[in-house]
Amino acid sequence: MLNTLLPILLFAALALAVIGAAKRFLMWRRGRPAQVDWLGGLLAMPRRYMVDLHHVVARDKYIANTHVATAGGFVLAAVLAILVHGFGLQNRILGFALLGATALMFVGALFVAKRRLDPPSRLSKGPWMRLPKSLLMFSVSFFIATLPVAGVLPADFGGWFLALLLTIGVAWGVSELFFGMTWGGPMKHAFAGALHLAWHRRSERFGGGRSTGLKALNLADPKAPLGVEKPTDFTWNQLLGFDACVQCGKCEAACPAFAAGQPLNPKKLIQDMVVGLAGGTDAKFAGSPYPGKAIGEHSGGPHLPIVNLNGKALVDAETLWSCTTCRACVEECPMMIEHVDAIVDMRRHLTLEKGATPNKGAEVLDNLIATDNPGGFNPGGRLNWAADLNLPLMSDKQRVDVLFWVGDGAFDMRNQRTLRAFVKVLKAAKVDFAVLGLEERDSGDVARRLGDEATFQLLAKRNIATLARYQFKRIVTCDPHSFHVLKNEYGELGGRYQVLHHSTYMDELISGQKLNLGTHKGGSVTYHDPCYLGRYNGEYEAPRNVLNAIGIEVKEMQRSGFRSRCCGGGGGAPITDIPGKQRIPDMRMVDIKETAAELVAVGCPQCTAMLEGVVGPRPEVKDIAELVADVLIEQAPPVKAASQAAAEVL
Amino acid sequence: MTNLQVITLVSVGAHPTSGRPRRAEQDARAVELGLRLAGEHLQVLHAGDAESEALRSYLGMGLGELGVLQQSAADDALPVLADYLSGCGAQLVLTGTQAETGEGSGMLPYLLAERLGWPLVVGLVEVEQVDHGIAQVLQALPRGQRRRLRVRLPFLASVDNAAPVARQSAFGPARRGNLEALPAAAQADPLLTAAQFQPARPRPKRLKVIKAKTGAERMKAATAKAAGGSGQVLKDVSPEAGAEAIFNLLIEEGVLR
Repeated sequence: MLNTLLPILLFAALALAVIGAAKRFLMWRRGRPAQVDWLGGLLAMPRRYMVDLHHVVARDKYIANTHVATAGGFVLAAVLAILVHGFGLQNRILGFALLGATALMFVGALFVAKRRLDPPSRLSKGPWMRLPKSLLMFSVSFFIATLPVAGVLPADFGGWFLALLLTIGVAWGVSELFFGMTWGGPMKHAFAGALHLAWHRRSERFGGGRSTGLKALNLADPKAPLGVEKPTDFTWNQLLGFDACVQCGKCEAACPAFAAGQPLNPKKLIQDMVVGLAGGTDAKFAGSPYPGKAIGEHSGGPHLPIVNLNGKALVDAETLWSCTTCRACVEECPMMIEHVDAIVDMRRHLTLEKGATPNKGAEVLDNLIATDNPGGFNPGGRLNWAADLNLPLMSDKQRVDVLFWVGDGAFDMRNQRTLRAFVKVLKAAKVDFAVLGLEERDSGDVARRLGDEATFQLLAKRNIATLARYQFKRIVTCDPHSFHVLKNEYGELGGRYQVLHHSTYMDELISGQKLNLGTHKGGSVTYHDPCYLGRYNGEYEAPRNVLNAIGIEVKEMQRSGFRSRCCGGGGGAPITDIPGKQRIPDMRMVDIKETAAELVAVGCPQCTAMLEGVVGPRPEVKDIAELVADVLIEQAPPVKAASQAAAEVL
Repeated sequence: MTNLQVITLVSVGAHPTSGRPRRAEQDARAVELGLRLAGEHLQVLHAGDAESEALRSYLGMGLGELGVLQQSAADDALPVLADYLSGCGAQLVLTGTQAETGEGSGMLPYLLAERLGWPLVVGLVEVEQVDHGIAQVLQALPRGQRRRLRVRLPFLASVDNAAPVARQSAFGPARRGNLEALPAAAQADPLLTAAQFQPARPRPKRLKVIKAKTGAERMKAATAKAAGGSGQVLKDVSPEAGAEAIFNLLIEEGVLR
């Protein structure tokens, strides 16, 4: 009896799966067109899955091993089951292979079930709680059904009763694992995930590459949509990417806004996009809600606006504005989903079409347009911080080794200390450098993260035109945001430069023995990785090397390196200022205090401002440049003259 | 109030620190007030150059089009605006108090009201209701005080920084909106042909002597109505006696010598 029922069940499930896959594929294709390498992507997919994706998953050994066993066992078992039970190839060797595969899957499924006994809050419940049972049912049913094939049991063992049981078990198993995969069950992640890896919008990320720059809008075409209003405004492979989500909640656990009680949960956001893709409400979502927002009150559809400024739609605007663009979610995501791209796409629509940038957003954008700096300061005062430093200007020198990109920190009195310290280092190392002076403008970072692509491109194009007039080997900056934008986002607009963060450059100067340094005196030091230096650009080593070189042994925080927690200052978050239960910099300061360090070294004007904004008592906040300048031993100092001058002043 | 015919007059502004052209702060507030009153029926009018890109930032507030009475920088805006407004059936005309570029004398609303023979409300904050051709409006006074006025339509109102903040200007609508050149008989400004521009001198400020000794007194000084005291109310006096009193005060204050 089983010999007739099993093929029917298997092929019926497979046929349903194919129909579901076609339906889902057409749903994704409602999105806007995107350039993908159709065949190349598919061919590269197994490698991306086994290497790149596994690399992320393997950070959690438990689930990595569990997944290898379960998924590996299942893929093998599915193929063999189709051969053995579907096509009736009742070969003993195949039978034993199938037994092995199902046994492997069974062991994996047991570990899946174990984790589901007391699941952490980041995991989604609901249908996901059913998944380990389905996995066990599939593996056990096929194991028993295959025993006669392998010749372990007689063919008619157990009679009709066992056959009936097995039929039910197999039916359950194949429903979940075959057609559940394409009809929106938990196993959808395997089907959509595989294709997402094949046609990923940032294929440069695979094979150890890095792709973090936002993609430019085409402003030359007046018909091209300005950002994303409704789900179908996403490119189709973005929609596919949303569908790949496994709801593991690693993003939720890493998200600083979620931890601060701001109304953002990256996992829920991606699931809301899936709701928008298919149409419906978020009532079935079985994970943590956006803090402070009940589940079941939002709904949407593929052609409905995602945000309704005067009511409720799929997502509230403040959810989108809570993001600090720190990329912690993208870094953690085992499916390599691009949350930040999606958020900025939706912000673009709100800013460029609706004029709805919250709080100080509009003022900052107006200032950027009128004064080239977010604070609205007189552009003529851009070099006031260096009035006494006699800085060489690009317009005088025309050709230098290093162009020192000052950034908007030039207007901030705290950051001016950092800038002056770095100039001291540059001068001590006798670097041939110059600044743009009044010709420099804001890099456009904040405008772009606030969704104002037009102002970003305006600033970027003007900066590119200015830079094109001069000759320099490299750009060095103390601001990781300018660094990232100049390095990764100007290229698409025609500006390609070699850009270094000042920590990288100082590391180079130190290893080239260009600096005569003493050792840091004072207490223990920890280091806070800026998101735009670390996760965005992979620079974790140079700042630590510099600190080591001045005799500091960095007391690492638990969340450091690629897991560093954002200071709360990125993505225009201090400007849009969405309220939460606590402040992100306060949480980071708790991380810092846990190390018992007396000083936290930073490498970013935003991080400095955010961390210094935390009420005392707290560790001191100092930029790496300041720490280096403090221990600089100037060669053959005119000691006498200096002390005399000091005496006269007194 | 959506059937109220509202026209907002706008000019090209200049950013206070960089001097770059932008939407003028007060004019943008006048547009905001107009949008709240008339929604998409608001008509916005500029006398000047239809090619001026800064005008697009008014369109970015969600306007479909902006009418431009085409004229050069040396022409007088007053006659063309007066001609247009007298013939267009507007019931409420909103302006800023003072332009950020050009003469910036702040005289335009007064001269325009004089020409049209309409009442002028300065410092308009809100139009509360309109019925039977009478509008009930709130006018801003110093120290956050408000005065409720009843004005017959049509009237002209100028808007200052007490009016609601202008909404954000968005790139999309600014790019799509239409700057429509309207025919206008330009007239050269007699003042501009005769006179020269020179930067304004900052006006001398009255010295503010803080007499308050306690926090409560300072709070009172900052918030309470100006007490005056030495003032004099002239009531039921002949025009000559009134003029005499004003003349004497001006001499006393040193305005006339």
